[in-house]
Amino acid sequence: MMTRINQLPTLRVDPTKKVVFDYKGKDYVGAHGDTVATALYYNDVRIFGRSLKYHRPRGLYSLDGECSNTCMEIDGIPNVRTENTLVKQGMKVKEQNVKGSAENDMMGFIDKLDFMMPAGFYYKTMHKPASIWPVAMKQIRKAAGLGVLSPDFEMPGKFDQIFPSADVVVIGGGPAGMSAALASADKGLRVIIMESRPWLGGFFDYRTFDYRDENYKNNKQLYSRARELASKVESHANIRVFTHTSVVGTYTNNLVTGFQIGKDNDKFTERYIEIRANAVVVATGCIERPLIFENNERPGVMQVGCVHRLARTYGILAGERAVFSVGHDLGLEAAIDLFDLGMKILCVADVREDGQNPHLMIELAKRNIPYLKGWVAAEAKGGKRVKGVVMTTLDGTISRDFDCDLIVASAGFTPLNGPLTLAHAKLRYDSHTNFFVADKMPEKTHAAGRMLGLEDSLSIEASGVIAGLKAALDCKLMKESYGNSDVDALKSEIDATVAKQKELPGPARGSKFVTAPVKGRKSFICFDEDTTIKNIRQAIEMGFDVPELIKRFTSAGTGPGQGGIPGHNLPLYVAKYLAASGAPPKPTTVRAPLVPTLIATYAGSKHIMMKRTPMDDMQRADGGVFRKIGVWERARYFSDDFSCKKEIENVRNNVGMLDGSTLGKFRIHGPDALKVLQRVYVSDMSKVKLGRVKYSAMCNDDGCVIDDGVVIKLAENDYYFTTSTARAGATIEWLRYHTRFDGWDFYVVNLTDSMGVINLSGPNARKVLQKITSEDVSNSAFAFSGYKEFMVKDTIPVKAMRLGFVGELSYEFHVPSSYMVSLWNMLKDAGKEFNIQNFGVEAQNVLRMEKCHIILGQESEQRTNLLDLGLGFLWDRTKKDAKTVGAVALRQAENDPTRFRLVGFEMENNGRAARDGALIVDDKVRGYVCTARDSFTLNKAVGMALVESHLAKVGTRLEIFEDECGGERIYGTVVPMPFYDPDGTRMKS
Amino acid sequence: MFGKYKPMWGEKTQLKSSYDAVIIGGGLHGLATAYYLAKDHGITDVAIIEKNYIGFGGAGRNTAIVRANQRTQYNVPLYKEALDLWPILTKELDYNLMFNNCGNLNLMHSEAAMKAARMTIATAQFHGVESHLIDAKEAKELVPALNISEDITYPIHGAMFHPPGGIVRHDAVVWGLARGASKFGVEIHQQTEATAVNTRNGKIVSIETNRGTINTNKLLISAGGYSAALIYGMVGIKLPISVLTIQAMVTQPLKPLLDHVVSSGAYHCYANQTLKGEIATGAHMDQWPNYTTQTTAHYIKHQGEALSEFMPCLRGLRFMRIWAGLADMTPDMAPILDGNDHIEGFYFNCGWGYFGFKSCSASGKYMAEFMAKGQAPDMIKPFNLRRYEQHKLMGETAELVTYTPNN
Amino acid sequence: MSLTITCPICGKRNGYEFRFGGEDKGPRPDEDSLTPQRWCEYVHLNECVAGVQKEWWVHKDGCGSWFTIHRDTVMNVEVAKPEADR
Ligand SMILES: Cc1cc2nc3c(=O)[nH]c(=O)nc-3n(C[C@H](O)[C@H](O)[C@H](O)COP(=O)(O)OP(=O)(O)OC[C@H]3O[C@@H](n4cnc5c(N)ncnc54)[C@H](O)[C@@H]3O)c2cc1C
Ligand SMILES: [Zn+2]
Repeated sequence: MMTRINQLPTLRVDPTKKVVFDYKGKDYVGAHGDTVATALYYNDVRIFGRSLKYHRPRGLYSLDGECSNTCMEIDGIPNVRTENTLVKQGMKVKEQNVKGSAENDMMGFIDKLDFMMPAGFYYKTMHKPASIWPVAMKQIRKAAGLGVLSPDFEMPGKFDQIFPSADVVVIGGGPAGMSAALASADKGLRVIIMESRPWLGGFFDYRTFDYRDENYKNNKQLYSRARELASKVESHANIRVFTHTSVVGTYTNNLVTGFQIGKDNDKFTERYIEIRANAVVVATGCIERPLIFENNERPGVMQVGCVHRLARTYGILAGERAVFSVGHDLGLEAAIDLFDLGMKILCVADVREDGQNPHLMIELAKRNIPYLKGWVAAEAKGGKRVKGVVMTTLDGTISRDFDCDLIVASAGFTPLNGPLTLAHAKLRYDSHTNFFVADKMPEKTHAAGRMLGLEDSLSIEASGVIAGLKAALDCKLMKESYGNSDVDALKSEIDATVAKQKELPGPARGSKFVTAPVKGRKSFICFDEDTTIKNIRQAIEMGFDVPELIKRFTSAGTGPGQGGIPGHNLPLYVAKYLAASGAPPKPTTVRAPLVPTLIATYAGSKHIMMKRTPMDDMQRADGGVFRKIGVWERARYFSDDFSCKKEIENVRNNVGMLDGSTLGKFRIHGPDALKVLQRVYVSDMSKVKLGRVKYSAMCNDDGCVIDDGVVIKLAENDYYFTTSTARAGATIEWLRYHTRFDGWDFYVVNLTDSMGVINLSGPNARKVLQKITSEDVSNSAFAFSGYKEFMVKDTIPVKAMRLGFVGELSYEFHVPSSYMVSLWNMLKDAGKEFNIQNFGVEAQNVLRMEKCHIILGQESEQRTNLLDLGLGFLWDRTKKDAKTVGAVALRQAENDPTRFRLVGFEMENNGRAARDGALIVDDKVRGYVCTARDSFTLNKAVGMALVESHLAKVGTRLEIFEDECGGERIYGTVVPMPFYDPDGTRMKS
Repeated sequence: MFGKYKPMWGEKTQLKSSYDAVIIGGGLHGLATAYYLAKDHGITDVAIIEKNYIGFGGAGRNTAIVRANQRTQYNVPLYKEALDLWPILTKELDYNLMFNNCGNLNLMHSEAAMKAARMTIATAQFHGVESHLIDAKEAKELVPALNISEDITYPIHGAMFHPPGGIVRHDAVVWGLARGASKFGVEIHQQTEATAVNTRNGKIVSIETNRGTINTNKLLISAGGYSAALIYGMVGIKLPISVLTIQAMVTQPLKPLLDHVVSSGAYHCYANQTLKGEIATGAHMDQWPNYTTQTTAHYIKHQGEALSEFMPCLRGLRFMRIWAGLADMTPDMAPILDGNDHIEGFYFNCGWGYFGFKSCSASGKYMAEFMAKGQAPDMIKPFNLRRYEQHKLMGETAELVTYTPNN
Repeated sequence: MSLTITCPICGKRNGYEFRFGGEDKGPRPDEDSLTPQRWCEYVHLNECVAGVQKEWWVHKDGCGSWFTIHRDTVMNVEVAKPEADR
């Protein structure tokens, strides 16, 4: 265990509060505020895991989790970024992708075999002879991947989601972001600020000096300036602060998504946040661009911010003897500060020829820290830990070895442009900063701070203020309600602030892409995928000359950390290698999520939403077996005999009751109501008579049937109609769509949920009905296809129809949902003496099939038109002026002999029914079985099939091919339809 | 062991002023057609004109699922041949296409769906394609990550199991075909955009590109999601196509967890584990045309919700990358392979939606034959454009067509 | 991408409240002397414009009205009615 520097004012850990956690079965102690990574480092853990391909040891590198180096399994969850995860009491932490341990990995030898694995080697190997491949593939699969997940893993924790709106969203809680938030909020706008670290402060948070500006607010130290800003932000009434919140996506129209990690006392583990804003400020700052040299990812090679923050934020000195190889002032500043904290700095090498801040140079000199201008690290020495480094001049002519245990390496900065590019900003290469900068900003989006190349702290804050004011202006221009009076004032305030900022230092010159002249065999450009610059060269030579393609061919930037490590270096390297072409560097594509995000977090809490009919409880009490059908739960069976024999026989012999409430139910009225029906129904709806039920169908413009149902005329231009369950949601839309050019005057109301439906069917149905109503329901008074409205017990208004879907005497009652339970109970009581029983959807399916009544989707599919189904009698072709939907296509297809026909068939030789979906074949497929059942009523197996028209004649033998038939065919014969009660006596009497 | 590093598909060359055949679009179908034109028909004086780089379109963005258990008798044989071609192509091209024939499970969430699956299965079996209906327990044995409890929005009743399907490495197909074609002399011109087509007397005579005019009598447009706009813009043929954005994503890589491709229509979701260990999953499409190839917040969340339900262990994984490509959807979910009809010498191959990876080898083979002989081979005859005016949609989907492509 | 659409009744809303209803092809053609080709064009064929197009939408999770907007299919954003169409 190391000693912590406990007295720093910048600390974010509380060393007095111990946190005990488990690492590989042993207890370790960290401090409250530690990340898992810092706690492990504090406990002398140096190798955090092994790399994907070569199993190289890997350790802390950036402290921000840009790569998979420090991913571990925590509490069963694989690939957790330990650098971003706060350590918690009792956590169980394990290393990944090792055989043995990370310290002694039995797969470590692979590192020596890299010569066998040049770029794209997979494509050229392991396929000759073909029999090798399946074996090789197994090995590849085993070797690939990092973490392990068990198939019965249950994700612990609570996952929440919120969808706030805001005027301005500020992404990034550093000095620029905070300044922007305050500027907008001060103008009266509602601001949300999102910061990925657990605190506001950004890169000011750990810095104790601002060497660049001696006049900076009385030499205020940067960290205290950060805290001052933070407390202003946190106490501002207009600002909502989300810390420990990573933005993962930005989209057009200023939609921003992210997730927040819950604190100890929060009610969520993580929560998904989706914000629709009017304007966005992006102030995400920079990460460091890795320095590329031999073994540049050895445990003990770290970036500047990593080493600096380890000390200042966590009180941990990363090493005893350090060599710096950097390309920017922050590196010099860190060397000075770490020296003051007690680290031995052997030398500071700087790739820049000039441009160093003179104040820093003086401080370095004061401390006698050797400074090597124009030098760079060429090779890290040591296996599992850094033992030394070879430093060279840029041309490689002079070199020097150092013994050290820490190499602080950082080539330059990479702006975190992700939130801009995801929202469609175009990037351009800027040779001054050596950054990709946004050329065309997304609408109402503004960037601020370091990502613009600014390094001066005052300038960074000013840029934040400007962005905040501009965002405020966007909002004010959008919304009249703010009053435009202060727009002009705001505009001049912006101009003034811009003018003031001009006096401050602008974007700093970025350091160039520099590598020591080494072979690059183990100079890693991408740590996740173990891609070396040698691999990149190979790819380019093979013709992959665009960074995006190289990325694919070499996998660089496609690992768990995505472009975090290679995103900036790859294009710079390619441009340098192809310098002859003169083309500027081209960025690779950044994709959401900007930070790997748990599926659990995206999913939020679990919500299963289904609709239930008013009779749901009662049917469940009666033993209904329910199924989810579309948006509904429906009783499909009423016993565990899924052939439904009893239910069917009871309808045929006594009386049954079915809940049909899921049917679509509509009322259409208004002066042009009839015209609408004429447009969408194939029949002549002007012929619908009062007191009668009209069955008809709707087609699409291809003539294919999309819906069927009944229509009832309530009064002139006032109709009630039903649709199939599935179409209920789209019916009004359909009516309005097909009349959208006509300007007709009509109202249509969806009554599907407000009305319930009971179907009462069977020879005893009339007797049951008569018991609950005084209305004359005799066959003469209420005949087949009749419609009646009456009251039951003077209270329940019933719309009653005489239909015959199941082929028996049958009534359908449409009743306001609130009365359904009462009516259901009344019918049940009344029906007791007649043996009334429930029947479910499957029984209905068989009953109607015996009667050859079709169900759309079962006897039809995309290709089936009205005529194919034998429903041509519904179509009135005289009403041309109505421009009936489907009529044109029906006319055009009418005489096409190659279309399918719906036929009835029975199985040959008393055979069992063919399965639904079986094919009708000869040497080709000629059709298929829609529905077929062993009919208890008819004592034979019957069904309906769609077949080519030459097979449609009664008497034709159908050759049936079922799945799993093993070549055995079964046969049926086309017979007349319907099979049951062909004259309709039962239905009509 | 690996020889010298030399360009895989020939050095960059000058664009000639004329070719026997020109193909617009260096995607899967363009490359495959070129390869077979050269290999099977000796037509090697071919130029592939690619606006960006080869594999820029759907070819480089798809999730590489291959299978042959389509729904109709027209489609199954074509996809079967395509599936059978992967090992053959691996050998012919001497390039490891990494065919992982791990099998596909298509989950069924209702009795009705199980029945509908029977027809698809029977159609497969009738054409000699292995495919079976299995129940939920059997599915769980194959995919232990499945949640077969009743406690989800769409409980799993069973699955259509198609053992010969699987995944292929999509980039390898692009690069392998490109290398194979260029070995025969086919020229691949990247960063070259076709801008116009010239016809005379109803015949193709030349095309315009940003690098100059190319004369040819045989032209194929197979520009994936861009085809419909190009074909209408260049030769005035309107197509029954809607260009939608389709998205896919991967999680961070992990050790083997999923051994099969799992898909679910009800959840609009499929998932499989790549050889690299990522769980690759898709495939939502916003149901309106757009060419952005940009992803949505809505969808990545939807995908989280869906996977959480039917494979709940995945809740512990992290999505690391989402991307999108174009899907040129037809109303009947079947492609349009046509040519030499509206304009002599003009061929087009499009409408592949999200099925154009698995089919590219066979499609390329038959389009090559079509272009070589001027007559559509029987295999692809049914895929002509005229079927729409004849009200003969192909029925690859059972869904009803209303006013938009997919509802 | 996150489309928003302006409903003439309800104002600017999240795109997922709406359903796309096709390119604007004008009113239903007259049925007299209608060829299968012309009908097919009206029903199935699209221009697939990569750029601004006029198109139909319905506010399905809102007021239910059908209306047209102009949208840039390349950027997937609603745009103002072009001059030529005003
Ligand atoms: C996210 C996603 C997942 C998918 N998953 C699967 C799957 O699992 N299985 C499956 O079978 N299919 C899948 N697909 C579908 C498959 O990728 C496509 O169907 C297939 O790529 C189509 O191939 P293509 O050759 O027609 O077009 P593409 O591969 O798109 O190639 C077209 C090429 O044309 C070029 N081009 C365009 N305009 C011009 C011009 N004017 N001049 C020159 N060149 C031009 C483009 O740059 C492009 O390279 C998926 C698609 C996507 C987007
Ligand atoms: Zn509205």
